[in-house]
Amino acid sequence: MSIFSEIFSWWGGNTWGMRVTLWNQARFVGSDELGNKYYEQKKGIGEMGMPRRWVTYQDLADASKITADWHAWIHHMVDTPPTNEVYTPKSWQKPHKMNMTGTGEAYRPAGSILGSGHRPKATGDYKPWRPE
Amino acid sequence: MSKQLIVDGTLVEVEDGITLLQACEQAGAEIPRFCYHERLSIAGNCRMCLVDVQGSPKPIASCAMGVNDLPPNKDGSPKIISTKSPMVKKAREGVMEFLLINHPLDCPICDQGGECDLQDQAQAYGRGGSRYTENKRAVEDKHLGPLIKTVMTRCIHCTRCVRYMTEVAGVEELGLIGRGEDAEITTYLEKGIMSEMSANVVDLCPVGALTHRPWAHNARPWELKATESVDVMDAVGSAITVNTRGRDVMRILPRNNDAVNEEWISDKTRHVADGLRTQRLDTPYVRVDGKLIAASWDEALAAVAAKLKAARPERIGVIAGDLAGAEELFALKDLCGRLGIKSIDCRQDGARFDPAMGRASYLFNTTIAGIEQADCILLVGTNPRLEGAVLNARILKRHKQGGLRVGLIGERVPLTYPYEYLGAGPETLAAVADGLKGGGSNGFATHLNAAKRPMVIVGPAATTRADGMAVLALAARVAQGASQGADENWNAFNALQTAASRVAGLDLGLVPDKGGLDVAGMVAASAKGALDVLFLLGADELALDKVGAQTFVVYQGSHGDVGAHRADVILPGAAYTEKAATYVNTEGRAQMTAKAAAAPGMAKEDWTILRALSALAGQTLPYDDITALRAAMYKAAPQLAPLGSVSGAGSIATLAGLSGQLAAGAFANPITDYYLTNPIARASSVMAEMSALKKNSAGANRDAAE
Repeated sequence: MSIFSEIFSWWGGNTWGMRVTLWNQARFVGSDELGNKYYEQKKGIGEMGMPRRWVTYQDLADASKITADWHAWIHHMVDTPPTNEVYTPKSWQKPHKMNMTGTGEAYRPAGSILGSGHRPKATGDYKPWRPE
Repeated sequence: MSKQLIVDGTLVEVEDGITLLQACEQAGAEIPRFCYHERLSIAGNCRMCLVDVQGSPKPIASCAMGVNDLPPNKDGSPKIISTKSPMVKKAREGVMEFLLINHPLDCPICDQGGECDLQDQAQAYGRGGSRYTENKRAVEDKHLGPLIKTVMTRCIHCTRCVRYMTEVAGVEELGLIGRGEDAEITTYLEKGIMSEMSANVVDLCPVGALTHRPWAHNARPWELKATESVDVMDAVGSAITVNTRGRDVMRILPRNNDAVNEEWISDKTRHVADGLRTQRLDTPYVRVDGKLIAASWDEALAAVAAKLKAARPERIGVIAGDLAGAEELFALKDLCGRLGIKSIDCRQDGARFDPAMGRASYLFNTTIAGIEQADCILLVGTNPRLEGAVLNARILKRHKQGGLRVGLIGERVPLTYPYEYLGAGPETLAAVADGLKGGGSNGFATHLNAAKRPMVIVGPAATTRADGMAVLALAARVAQGASQGADENWNAFNALQTAASRVAGLDLGLVPDKGGLDVAGMVAASAKGALDVLFLLGADELALDKVGAQTFVVYQGSHGDVGAHRADVILPGAAYTEKAATYVNTEGRAQMTAKAAAAPGMAKEDWTILRALSALAGQTLPYDDITALRAAMYKAAPQLAPLGSVSGAGSIATLAGLSGQLAAGAFANPITDYYLTNPIARASSVMAEMSALKKNSAGANRDAAE
């Protein structure tokens, strides 16, 4: 994201105000496989009675981009960030993907017209007779 | 005589000879049961109906205990019976626990879920949980043909299906083998059941051991809307419930009607449902340059009206098919009258019935319920098993009561009860008539003469012949002769119709007027080029290949079949589940179907099509809604107005007085393929499968015999 758009837009990504806050208060903790960066308050505590934690997103800001390994830490469920422990994904875990709702890659359940392009069989259907 | 009992603290007086279960029901107590069924013999093997009888150390199975068998109290006071005591509760819990020991708990994937007796009664009378930790038994599934799906592990051995097949369907193909835990319901030879009434076992099965295969896993009972209607597959007019989801008929189940079908229906009635989904006519067609092109209603009706106006009335023919309701038959007849068309016929199979002979000449006068009082039945040119499966079950029921003698003239067919085979053709019937005239001293005439309540049933094999009228008259004379000395109000003459629309058609006079042509005449005239327009109201079962090329054929109906292929204009109509139409069954009982779903696409209810056509043809029919049409129809044929009842049809004297020349030759049953007799059945894949199976098994049996 260019500095220009960071200064003149506030939608979709990080803002320069965020840059000031992080420079002033935060300590860099680590980054995940998607390039999101995680920060924690250097000293003192936030409104919730514990040090605040931040994430700055690579490109578009969307909370569902936080990967599974960082999920617990950013939500204050654990205090040890994954960088400080050996985190190995389970064999059945797929690579993390953000919530695709609203995009072209959105999930279409079986039977959705948007998924297959044609309406599947449903109650009330009948086979009309057609002259050969 | 009656007997007094105290059931749950209330004194009741019950008839002699009934069972304790019936007595408790009369007292208002609810007794759970699995094996007991009112229309089947008593087995007493599920033990769910246990009640507490004063003086008895153990609870008693109430279904198998007659009130007369209860030992009397010493002081003569009424017996005290409890259906709610702690002992009964404990006994029911115990029985339920035993039943559930080997019952899989697969309700979520079981088609019976939601309408399962075991589910309901486990909820109401069972313990909260199970104490059984051992392995459950598993039973191999049996092959019972394409209609019945089996999951035999679910079976609780109530034997209702076995008793039904033996006692009502009349084919001993199911049985229980093994003892205790090894007991299994089986067909012995692992072959599918060959009966026209087999699918009723699914309704009887209190659990999910037997379910409907054609609609397996299609719907749950609570999603379905039930519409009470009447069947049109044969002329018996069985009461049915049409279950729909949205506009789709998901299944057809029987409904209780003691006067007609009790609570059974034939397999064709039940499983024709998928035929309502295929081959549907959903848009009008007009033939342009030899090709049928989809058209709008206006174009199609205008094309028909132009032809009707252009042709001379005597060069127009009208044929009504087997599935037409009385409303459209009346509208059609009315329209023909206004246009001066004389060639109109509702007897597409060529049956010789004539309304001029009186209503009794084409009705099943004894009524179906009346069969139970008959003591001697003469079947003439009929196979009641295929022409009215439910009616045949009633004859079997009468046979099981004992003292019934059945004679058959016609094709030697396997019926479900024993009969005396008398001969193949009208000569034999004439011999019986002569025997009756001579005082009834030879052969079957002796039995007919001696019978208090004789019946003569004339079927389509006799009535569709060229000499059908003469055979009918002869049969009427036999019926009259046999009725000598019988009860005053007993009418022994019975015509067994096979088409649902036939009686209404004859009541409304859909037969050729003076100078008009009948079905065969119309086809012959068309072949000669003497017919310009042929209007078919759902008529498919006639020799349409013989219809001349220059004849303009209009087909109005619900399914694309022979008629639609030959048609020059197609007017899409509604099937019997899609309109409220009156059908008169073979007894003369007027019954009305109900609209369970909408007709597909642009299809309309049939009488509205005829009404619209009449306006374009310049002879507007004077009714704008169904109420006005029915009012006019009831004026023309008042016997159609009282729904659900049968009134005396009068005498057969006119018919019996008729003389005619009998032709030689044996009676040949017209129904060769039971499962494919009408356009809806021919559109059904289930019926096609059954038909193929029946043909194959007939071949296999022949091979085995050779």
